Amino acid sequence: MSSAPPVRLRQVRKRYPMLTRRGRLSSLKGALLHGELWRARKEGEGFLALDGVDLDVGAGETVGVIGPNGSGKSTLLKLVAGILKPTTGTVDVGGRVTALIELGAGFHPEISGRENAVINGMMLGLSRSEVLRRLPAIIDFAGIGEFIDEPVKTYSSGMYVRLGFAVAVVAEPDVLVVDEILAVGDERFAHRCLDRIAQLQRRGTAILLVSHDLGMVEQLAHRALYLSSGKPVLVGSAPAVVARYRSDVASEEAGAPAERQLGRRWGNGAVTLETVELLDASDHPVRLLSSGEAAAIRLVFRVREPQHDFVFGIAINREDGAQVFGSNTQLDGWHPEELSVDGEIRINFARLELAPGRYLVDAAVHTAAGLAFDYACEVLSFTIAAPVGWPGIYAPAHDWVPAGPVMTRSRR
Amino acid sequence: MSANVADRDGLFASLYRQRGLIGLLVARELKARYRGTFLGYLWSLLNPLLLLAVYAAVFTWVIPARGATGVPYPLFLFAGLLPWLFLSGTLLDAAVVLPDNGPLLKKVMCPPEVFPAVTVLAHLVHHLLALPVLLAGMVVTAALGLMRFPWTIVLLPFALLPLLVAVTGVALGVAALAVHFRDLKDILHNLLTLIFFLVPIIYPLDAIPLSLLKRVVKANPATPLVELYRDLVLLGRLPGPRVWLAAAVVAVVCWLIGSTIFGRLRETLAETV
Repeated sequence: MSSAPPVRLRQVRKRYPMLTRRGRLSSLKGALLHGELWRARKEGEGFLALDGVDLDVGAGETVGVIGPNGSGKSTLLKLVAGILKPTTGTVDVGGRVTALIELGAGFHPEISGRENAVINGMMLGLSRSEVLRRLPAIIDFAGIGEFIDEPVKTYSSGMYVRLGFAVAVVAEPDVLVVDEILAVGDERFAHRCLDRIAQLQRRGTAILLVSHDLGMVEQLAHRALYLSSGKPVLVGSAPAVVARYRSDVASEEAGAPAERQLGRRWGNGAVTLETVELLDASDHPVRLLSSGEAAAIRLVFRVREPQHDFVFGIAINREDGAQVFGSNTQLDGWHPEELSVDGEIRINFARLELAPGRYLVDAAVHTAAGLAFDYACEVLSFTIAAPVGWPGIYAPAHDWVPAGPVMTRSRR
Repeated sequence: MSANVADRDGLFASLYRQRGLIGLLVARELKARYRGTFLGYLWSLLNPLLLLAVYAAVFTWVIPARGATGVPYPLFLFAGLLPWLFLSGTLLDAAVVLPDNGPLLKKVMCPPEVFPAVTVLAHLVHHLLALPVLLAGMVVTAALGLMRFPWTIVLLPFALLPLLVAVTGVALGVAALAVHFRDLKDILHNLLTLIFFLVPIIYPLDAIPLSLLKRVVKANPATPLVELYRDLVLLGRLPGPRVWLAAAVVAVVCWLIGSTIFGRLRETLAETV
């Protein structure tokens, strides 16, 4: 794995020219009279679809891109796929890119699935022999049997999409760009797609995923980028970014003008988190714990407007964004009755069996629908120490029991 | 990445790198055109054959025309029409090839220069399939003693090369411009109809009575391309160095202008198409 991330965007802006009749006519006149076609378009003309996006996607990492319609998600994907060029800023993409933007786009209806698969594969950057070698795998994955030699126009829409997906994923891309495609196809096919995407993740493919299915983003993505009107609102661990988006949607639906608070803490302030701390077994706030110790996280809150619909939650993440644990009162079966006075709530862990390392805590209080009163990302950090540097994130109490091999144990 | 290669080392290198894909797309184009037809590829032969038969009938019995060139007029007309039909057919298709392949440009990131190249090559194949009809006509005519069979026909590649280079260049320029200005297709259609009469196809160059008009026809860039072609294929005479030079200059200039336009507009094609 190289050190440079496969996808690297820096201060990317994308401006589309307006394609109105008048715009076209004036551009034709301008092109003929003043040679404007050759010059860079004037700043300020057209529609700014993306404004100042920075993003890295590492090898094997999956980043979800969420946001309302028209927020620039698809434009971002097309920039990464190399279909569009940024107006300003840089887009660096290393290795083979495959774009799953519209499955089977460009299939010619009159020729066979086999020939279409070969042509599509070559467009994705494979050589003819590479495609031919992978053709059995493509046919197998698409599951269209002897129909492969029939003209594509005879295919059902499901077969069409399956063949398109099959060609795209057997290209074994270094960078995969996915736009909302898993919404098509039946349940079984969706599972095979997810399965294949998981395989690519393990292979080290950097994946950029656009979806309105927030559950899927939480499930598949390590991190997420929330775009609104072309501007990045938040980049961070997928659950936090999804929560932020849900909160904004909920507050918009509630009629409150969505405040576009940038940063790692948001909410309408009806209830605020005053303190978030980690406590050891004797209820002392600590920043360092031994693996397997009892611990608790305490949220001290203040109520400005009494609430009847509220959920408290926490999430523990690793520094690289990987989720470790997350829960909330709703998930664990607590029903809200009333929240009218300041107070505190804590979540107790009988044994916090984490591998050694540094961890970050998100804490939130929000409505059941996701409208945030106060959502604080990375509000607390703590370190777990252990006698041995176990890798991973989970460090259960354990013992080796040699029955047969002769071994001695060093005293620690 | 494949989408960026043209920035680095030019259109031609990019086309060369994509040759496998271009070949497949040309095959697809030809296959798709005749898929489902009863006669299949025979249509490529039949179309020009019918055209030649109609010309032969009309100009032999309806309007008996005699060319001053020593070959029957229908053959003279046909040998001039073949390169012209290649040229005009390619350019008209080039004006719509990028919008037609919009999904591939917008959704699959296929290098756009592939498509005009496919158009040119598909028309070249049709052209080469029509050639045997001309040859057969010539063999029959020569057997009847109405003309001598021109052995200069072996030099055909040297007439096709400048034609191919020039048409490819203009096709690239037209394809890119037509994405931005959809009117270009209609303008081109009318323009080609006009230019047709300014190329010595239905008349020999020497038959123009007005010297001014003759100069206009000679200045037409398509004239040396067609002249060179017909001289070698049908008339059996080696054109003078001026025709050769003119054809070479036209080819190089057309390629340079067309590929420059295409290169400048290349980045804007996917988002505009």
